[in-house]
Amino acid sequence: MPFISLDLITGALSFLFTLMILSYLIGDNPLFKIAVYLFIGVASGYVAAVVFWQVLYPKLFLPMSNALLAGAYNQGLLLVAPLLGVAFIFMKVSPRLSGIARITMAFLVGAGAAVTLAGALTGTIIPQVSATIDFFDPQTAAARNIGAFEVLGNGAILLVGVVTSLAYFHFGASQKPDGSTKRFALIDMFAWIGRIFIGITLGAIFAGVYAAALTAFIERISSLAIFIKTLFGIP
Amino acid sequence: MRVFTAVIAIAVGVLVLLGYFLPQAVSSQIILLDWAIILAGAAALVGILNLVNVHADKIRRRAKDGIYSAVLIIGLFATFVFALVLKPQNAYVQAFVLKGIIIPVEASLMGLLAVSLLYAAVRLLRRRSDVMSIVFIVTAGLLFLGSATLPFGDVPLIGTLVRPWVTQIWALGGARGILIGVALGTLTTGLRVLFGVDRPYGGN
Repeated sequence: MPFISLDLITGALSFLFTLMILSYLIGDNPLFKIAVYLFIGVASGYVAAVVFWQVLYPKLFLPMSNALLAGAYNQGLLLVAPLLGVAFIFMKVSPRLSGIARITMAFLVGAGAAVTLAGALTGTIIPQVSATIDFFDPQTAAARNIGAFEVLGNGAILLVGVVTSLAYFHFGASQKPDGSTKRFALIDMFAWIGRIFIGITLGAIFAGVYAAALTAFIERISSLAIFIKTLFGIP
Repeated sequence: MRVFTAVIAIAVGVLVLLGYFLPQAVSSQIILLDWAIILAGAAALVGILNLVNVHADKIRRRAKDGIYSAVLIIGLFATFVFALVLKPQNAYVQAFVLKGIIIPVEASLMGLLAVSLLYAAVRLLRRRSDVMSIVFIVTAGLLFLGSATLPFGDVPLIGTLVRPWVTQIWALGGARGILIGVALGTLTTGLRVLFGVDRPYGGN
């Protein structure tokens, strides 16, 4: 049995870093800075290792070496393009050769744009619009034991919220003969109502984030107390 | 080079997009997305190399906060070698790196947010007391009060009636508007890239 257990080391590290971070409550200080810089370094090093072991090795290096060893050159050829792409993107480190990295960046931007475009359409716009329409569905309301009056009232508030919040982000304006610009009066009115809905939404998000932050704060204080109690054997 | 990069971006984008609508294009979409995952991983490594470069430069120039940069680089290389040799899922790596440093620091920073958010809310009311700020603070206060666990249970009316109504109807309306707005913006940006109008990869 080892003299110092793994749990004790983990607990001590956790205790130390929690104290260093919470020391920010008395003001910015070197302990807080050391903890934050070390955290960034450790997290980056861990991400680099994860990228190697869970992306580059199983998806590129292992299939490439397997294909070469088995003489399956057709499969190996399919991996030449990403291998070249990886080589190109690493040229970004050198200012003289960084232009070549644009080829890989163009590939990533093209693929990313297509994925986000499809995701925005099928993952947000269609489901959110459908959910807003479905709110008025009498059968769904009956299944949830909600009366027609309640459905119409709440559905109207929801619909007004969606439309006016969207109008708030509409910045199209007409140009007057004197060169000044002004939004359309109807859009302006909708945007004013939309501000109230956005204020309510952001307030709700704030309350949720604050509750989560407070829970994390209490959990950290509790972990400090538990570590001290365990270390000194206090019941 | 400018035309070549634009052709790559548009061709890859169109082929990936076609995979969502045409079953015949699914196999090419899978290959291209697999390549994109590999390249995104390599891009993350380049980002980390850039971080090392920036901090190494600060140490070389003997900048004011150079000592912290040294701490960052030592931590980065030590963790990278440790996790590379033992693999990230190893029990020692998980105990030292994740449970010992990353999770406690993240949770503590989240805890600090409780104090800074409260301070920000008070400052907001003192500096900008317009309709939106008042609606924001009143909603946050009401919802926080409504979700508080008190010895006698929920706060009457606020916890049982006002909180569900505000979150499930009023806040939901605003959130849907914001979400649809963000998605429309994303859609437009994606289309601009696919049509070659925007070239964020440096092809302009």
